[in-house]
Amino acid sequence: MRPLDPVVTDALGRRFGAVVALRGVGLRVREGTCLLLLGPNGSGKTTLLRVLATALRPTEGRAWVCGYDVVSEGHRVRELCAFLGTSAGVYAGLTGFENVCLAADLCGRPRWQVAELLGWAGLEQVAHRPVRTYSLGMRRRLALARVRLQEPRVLLLDEPFVGLDEEGTRLVAELVTGVKKRGGAVVLATHDLDRARALCDAVAELESGRLLSSGPAGLAGAVSRG
Amino acid sequence: MKAWRRVAAVARKDLLLEWRGRDAVLPAGSFGFAVLLVLGLVSGGGGKAAPSALWVSVLLAAVLAAGRGADREGEEGTREVLLLYPGSREDLFWGRWLALCVVLLVLAAGLWCAQVLLFDAPTRGAGVLILAGLLATAGLGAAGTLLAALVAHVRAGPLLMPLLFLPATVPVLLAGVRLSEAAASGAPAGPWWGVLVVFDLLFLLVGPALFELVVEG
Repeated sequence: MRPLDPVVTDALGRRFGAVVALRGVGLRVREGTCLLLLGPNGSGKTTLLRVLATALRPTEGRAWVCGYDVVSEGHRVRELCAFLGTSAGVYAGLTGFENVCLAADLCGRPRWQVAELLGWAGLEQVAHRPVRTYSLGMRRRLALARVRLQEPRVLLLDEPFVGLDEEGTRLVAELVTGVKKRGGAVVLATHDLDRARALCDAVAELESGRLLSSGPAGLAGAVSRG
Repeated sequence: MKAWRRVAAVARKDLLLEWRGRDAVLPAGSFGFAVLLVLGLVSGGGGKAAPSALWVSVLLAAVLAAGRGADREGEEGTREVLLLYPGSREDLFWGRWLALCVVLLVLAAGLWCAQVLLFDAPTRGAGVLILAGLLATAGLGAAGTLLAALVAHVRAGPLLMPLLFLPATVPVLLAGVRLSEAAASGAPAGPWWGVLVVFDLLFLLVGPALFELVVEG
């Protein structure tokens, strides 16, 4: 039977040769909520996000996004979720406009949305400049525009605040709030608790690939420790 | 979601990046020209050696050009983003294939002109040569797209690429040389058209099917 919650993992594990990056992780993210993933470097946060995004296959256990198995139904998962990793993943040789047009073509979205999204990201003045002339923050904003274009039901964010100013942080918040309002779910991994605090509804703490605690009850404690 | 729109988007992206950076055509074309020059010097520049020199230079230039697209994705950190878009990954294969075929055709045309000048090669039988070139490009493009995706995950990928690509594409080399010789002399081409067609069918059928497995690493 398919899980009803947007993100569910069951005894999820991932090994890289002898290195165990994730083991026995069981999580559930409910509709309209944002889960904050906490943990020191190397605790498995990015690996968990990449498994959910179908960028990595789990070596143990299972995971479902919107009820679809991330291994056997990866193509369905990719239709419903968007992943923003630590790298902006934009083409430096293309303009901002061309980058978002590429995303529109690949996602089957109309191109008229592109200019609107670049305006939303505050990049309309530089839309026709090559991305190699953009700052790190501008590249991150471009990546946010690309993610917004996808209108995902599940949003996976890995250190989304890196390189962003206050306006950029507001864009991340808007993106997260939009997904939650549409009844989707967000999983956000960050060390920047000050900026994440207002967005998250639940917290999960990872250490050495294991889940230490999860749920809203841990929120106050974990965030206050941060 | 329309597949043709995704294929066209990937091909346009690769060609735009190539047009602005010229980081595949220029190095691969220069290398192919150098190979042609060396073979010309070794063989004395006689017209008889021209077909072999042309196809060897095209094949070696194709190794460099095929690997460049995958390298570019790795350098910019865009490979994962591209793979995580919704839709079939076969569309990504066909987009890459289309862009690589255009690059290979430009390289082949340039090297053919250089060969005519360097070897004083006859230009008769151009129709046969163009058809052979188109068929060879389709197959080389498919093999190059698949193998470049395969070696993209390997640390020694640039070294591995020629080791996989050259043996796999020997049939194209042999067929290309024999067809060019036949075109120049007016002799019958024999079974070599069949060799090219079978090579194309093999890689054009196997390439997209294996691409998804290969890109997942």
